[in-house]
Amino acid sequence: MTKPSELRVRKKAQPRAAGLLRHALDAFLRSNGIDPDTRIDIITAVGEALANSIEHAYAPNKIGHVELRARITDVEPRISVDIIDGGRFISRLPQPHRGFGFRIIRTAARTMRIDTSAGTAIRLEFDSARA
Amino acid sequence: MTTNGSPAVVRFDGELDVSRKDELRSTLQSALQAHSVLLDLAGVTYADSTALVELLHFCTDLKESDVPVALLIETPQFARLIKYAGLDQVFAVFDNRDEALAYLAAQA
Repeated sequence: MTKPSELRVRKKAQPRAAGLLRHALDAFLRSNGIDPDTRIDIITAVGEALANSIEHAYAPNKIGHVELRARITDVEPRISVDIIDGGRFISRLPQPHRGFGFRIIRTAARTMRIDTSAGTAIRLEFDSARA
Repeated sequence: MTTNGSPAVVRFDGELDVSRKDELRSTLQSALQAHSVLLDLAGVTYADSTALVELLHFCTDLKESDVPVALLIETPQFARLIKYAGLDQVFAVFDNRDEALAYLAAQA
């Protein structure tokens, strides 16, 4: 088994960070030979988690950070992605239409786990065949 | 935008994400008076649920006024997003411009 491949990027949680983090993740997935079909699911699911962090993690006058960590290994589920922010998860739940974001994540990812012990960390896992 | 018979065409390109919510909302609002709308999203390479929610509000408002609206979507990520959100039966989605225009003409 080869050494896992890892990506770690941290940005201020402002709207343009979503695209920057998605592009960094897509480049990482491409360079690791992840097939286009799997990449679409990963970018779609992770993009929802990022949009949620950026829109709802922090109060309007408080700019925090959002961090993306991705890891690719040789065993299934081969790809895991963490989206981590310092905000509170519970306070964001009643937002109208947030249901779409989580519905999309649950369909696109194999598993989703949410850890709210310190800020909010969402871990998504995906399977992938090698391209 | 055009009137008198042909649908108003509202076009977006690139990545429609959380950073473009305000632009999306105001552009869509400018088309609310149309009698028929083609949302040309063929050049949208990525979209997220914040864009979907804006599109859903727009389409719901038009539906209440009996204004037909068709979405032209040609990129796989956007088509998949709509399916995953469970909205593929809510929006009139086409991957072909002629079919979208024919649908709108038939609704008139």
